[in-house]
Amino acid sequence: MDLSNKQNNNELFKIVDVEFQLRETKILSEINATINLSDITGIIGPSGAGKSTFLRLLNKLISPTNGNIYYKSQNTKEMSSQKIRKEIGFVQQRPYLFNGTVKYNLLYGPKLWNIEYSDEELVQLLQKVALEKNFLEKQVEGLSGGEQQRVSLARSLANKPSVLLLDEPTSSLDINSEEIIETSLKQLNQEGIKIIIVTHSLEQTERITDSLLFLREGKLIEKIPTEKFFSKYDNNEIRLFFKDTQSEDRK
Amino acid sequence: MTNIIDILNDIVFTLTDPNIWIRLALASILLVILIIFSLWQNTKLERKIIWSFFRGLIQIMLLGSILLLIFGIDELWLLYIILLFMCFFAAYTNWRSYPYPKIFRYNFIAILTSVMTIMTFALLSSLIPNFDGIIYQPTGSAGSSLGSFVIPVGSMVIFFAMRESGVALERLKSDLLKSKGEIEAALALGATPNRSIRGLLRDSFRASLVPTINRVAVLGIVTIPGLMSGMIIGGASPIEAAVYQIVVFMMLLTAAFFTSIVTNYLFTKQFFTSEDQINLEFYNIISMKKKEKKK
Repeated sequence: MDLSNKQNNNELFKIVDVEFQLRETKILSEINATINLSDITGIIGPSGAGKSTFLRLLNKLISPTNGNIYYKSQNTKEMSSQKIRKEIGFVQQRPYLFNGTVKYNLLYGPKLWNIEYSDEELVQLLQKVALEKNFLEKQVEGLSGGEQQRVSLARSLANKPSVLLLDEPTSSLDINSEEIIETSLKQLNQEGIKIIIVTHSLEQTERITDSLLFLREGKLIEKIPTEKFFSKYDNNEIRLFFKDTQSEDRK
Repeated sequence: MTNIIDILNDIVFTLTDPNIWIRLALASILLVILIIFSLWQNTKLERKIIWSFFRGLIQIMLLGSILLLIFGIDELWLLYIILLFMCFFAAYTNWRSYPYPKIFRYNFIAILTSVMTIMTFALLSSLIPNFDGIIYQPTGSAGSSLGSFVIPVGSMVIFFAMRESGVALERLKSDLLKSKGEIEAALALGATPNRSIRGLLRDSFRASLVPTINRVAVLGIVTIPGLMSGMIIGGASPIEAAVYQIVVFMMLLTAAFFTSIVTNYLFTKQFFTSEDQINLEFYNIISMKKKEKKK
């Protein structure tokens, strides 16, 4: 394997020979890839392909059993977990909000990092996810699923990350909420935040991603611009790739 | 240990006292009534009733005598060894109820440190001039020796430390399992492991302490503690007994809280990896224990 670091300034992540194993089960193996700076990158593949696991490797929520991950040419093994996670935000599949107000949730990260926020800035943050300012003092329990997921997105943004990882953020939302979040993501990308999103929605992939990492059975099958992907495979094949047969029993 | 002989003499002397036998004989009328009830209602429990009472009588006579022997001990080192032994069994009992990795070791360390510290503090307090010490020293047949107050108080402290650290641990464990998503969210925002579970730790301590704190709050109105009743029956003044009861509760709560803190912090160390991630293998282990228990 060629490990010589050809310095590529356009490179956000470089993943070298990565393997992830939990007990005896190999979840990911032989992953080699680069993710570029400008894109909205989609991670796709059938359920059980290791998409969520792959995503969690990028901000060190888990560590690879073997191999290395470089973030902006720096080996993540040598970076502190906290620093990486501040720099690389993460939005979970379901909005796991903390009990309390929306404001409390938004300020959780900034308080850890001593980032000052005025109420005005918090309102701006809410605007990015299309929420009104009266949401600030609302208790999170009373919000709809879509609103909660938007708060969870805003909570990640409050840390002012340069990269945002999203793990099927709209999988349990209605079409309306999905649209709002996708619009926000595109807007954020234009503002310079790099986005990597796991999705099992064919339509979402088409709508927002520029390039794709296609995983199957724990292996990276290919890295391909979204346009080419849709011309390369026929519709039936593509539907098979996105088939989400076991979303219920996935861990 | 000359007083062992005294105690044995005492036991033999008591056995020759006709009073206890008359008492037993008269009470046996109740046993006969019990048997009649049993026959009448066809419960088929007659043999079991007779055997249980007979066996129970012998057991508690033996236990009482052993207790008397232990209470008669005046050697401090020996008392500490007995306490150590009791701590060991307390931790073992907790581990049987909450069989999570390393819990026996961690809980033992926690109970031992808190119990030994608090008992040593109580014993040392008697060095203050013109002061009897925090622990009340009864005067009775086995009184005045160290064992007669170190062991009963020590056993209460150990029991509370065991029970409350068990409650706190179980609460924390089930909260950790329930809140995996929230913990991950906090870690993903850059929180340290301790910070990410701060609320869960707080809840676990509250769950274990609040019942006992409530019990202190209703003392004398809802509950009449056995220790205090025993002292009053034994001839102590009510005020003395009351102060002592409160002192003992302070010792119990302090030991219980400290034991819970040590146990839970050591336990949560396993829940995270050195890189501040949720330890998935450990997570799987404790969530499997939960399922086994349900079966």
